[in-house]
Amino acid sequence: MSLKNFLAIALGILSAIGGFVDIGDLVFNTQAGATFGFQLLWVVVIGVVGIIVYSEMCGRVAAISKRPVFDLVRERTGFGAGLATLIASEVVNLLTCAAEIGGVAITLQLLSGLPYRLLILLGVVALVVVSWTLPFEWIERVFGYLGLCLLVFAVAAIKLHPNWGKVAHGFVPGSHSGGSTMVYFYFVVGLLGAAMTPYEVYFYSSGAVEDGWGLKELGLNKVTSIIGYALGGFLSFALMIVAAVLFLPRGIDPQFLGTPPLASADAVGQLGLLLALVGILFAVGGAAIETCFAGAYNLAQFFGWRWGKRERPARASRFALSWLVIFALALLVVMTGYDPVKLTEYSVIFSVVALPLTYLPILLIANDRTYMGSHTNGRLANVLGVVYFVIILLVAVAAIPLLVLTNGGQG
Amino acid sequence: MSKSTPVDLALGILDHQLVDADGRNCGKVDELELGGFDRATPQVAEILVGGNAWRTRGLLGRLAAHLAGEAVHVPWSEVESVSSVVKLKRTAAELRLNRGDERWSRLFTKLPGGA
Repeated sequence: MSLKNFLAIALGILSAIGGFVDIGDLVFNTQAGATFGFQLLWVVVIGVVGIIVYSEMCGRVAAISKRPVFDLVRERTGFGAGLATLIASEVVNLLTCAAEIGGVAITLQLLSGLPYRLLILLGVVALVVVSWTLPFEWIERVFGYLGLCLLVFAVAAIKLHPNWGKVAHGFVPGSHSGGSTMVYFYFVVGLLGAAMTPYEVYFYSSGAVEDGWGLKELGLNKVTSIIGYALGGFLSFALMIVAAVLFLPRGIDPQFLGTPPLASADAVGQLGLLLALVGILFAVGGAAIETCFAGAYNLAQFFGWRWGKRERPARASRFALSWLVIFALALLVVMTGYDPVKLTEYSVIFSVVALPLTYLPILLIANDRTYMGSHTNGRLANVLGVVYFVIILLVAVAAIPLLVLTNGGQG
Repeated sequence: MSKSTPVDLALGILDHQLVDADGRNCGKVDELELGGFDRATPQVAEILVGGNAWRTRGLLGRLAAHLAGEAVHVPWSEVESVSSVVKLKRTAAELRLNRGDERWSRLFTKLPGGA
């Protein structure tokens, strides 16, 4: 491998790490840590392996068949079920986008002290301008690298000297203490949903198709999805550990997005607080752009429109209009003043319901020789793919009842 | 297109991407119209794209068709090849498959970076 290739891959991995965490991970990891300590760390591992399995698969499908995820959803499930999946995923994308924008506004407010609603508006205008003017490579880099400031949570986790024996114990699923069983399962579902959010695979596969991935990119696909997401998972561990050490003993329930950065301030000081806020701002801002575009990709791919960030908006006008409208709708949702943390919880739980119909077509096509030739799933990818599909199905069935029964994790 | 490999109409053509002669997306195969049942070999006569072509596609399709306009009919003779996409012999404009993007493009032509 040449130095240039190595650098390209290293940079890709870095932005994948910075881009891994979004508002769903922030909310669920800190709340899980504050409620159950280290006991739910094992769920993050399961979630991260799941997103690795399916993003590798859809990256490979995109590279070989040149078809993005929603093309496959439509081709394999037909018009009716495909349209149902489209509607569900658009609702989820919109809610998630709104929650991320709320996160942007809260972080900006903590940094500047200006009024929340003004910052929502400024935030959305900034995101639209960035999306309109910058190519995705730049957006990915700027937001991905600045999102790496979140590594301050890893430093904080180490500096807080957690009981590492107990941390290790958290990676083994088993009986739990503190909090009810229902709430425990609610967090299991939420953490899986936060790690395996469907917009990530929509966005990833559409980007791969637009970048013209082919055989040559199969290696890059493996490396970025495996290493990028695995390292990104460490940020989730760090968030949960920090919350477990600082919030659980004091009985603090992090129902406000400003709570996690304060934790890093406690361990690393003023600079830590600043880094945490900048990290959250860019991680969440980047995710807002990704969710918005995922929504536009899905619409365009379902109806067969011209799409792509590189297409001139006047040529792919329906695609351009879609992402602008999604940003506008998300703006309206946040402007109602509904709590972004609650919005996040709902978006993650509902996203779990849309997961099976998103992942099943990927699994089917990845095994279809007419699309994939000799690059169909190997045994490992299939065993994991099927196991995860069963997990996703169980989780999808349990998600809404748990949300209702636990009153959103309140017990 | 190759006549030797059989294609499953439902899995291999229906709901697949239509691509015009310039390689641009121009809709989906929303419905197929078959003909020639009185002959020995029935054939695909037309591809229906958009609008009320959805009315035969289940409950949600019926609802969507009510909200949309007329479908565009593309004769099967306009099909160049079938792979994971259905490639057409002419451009989207020539086959009247560009109306959707035409309708909204005025919004963007004046903006910097729009056209």
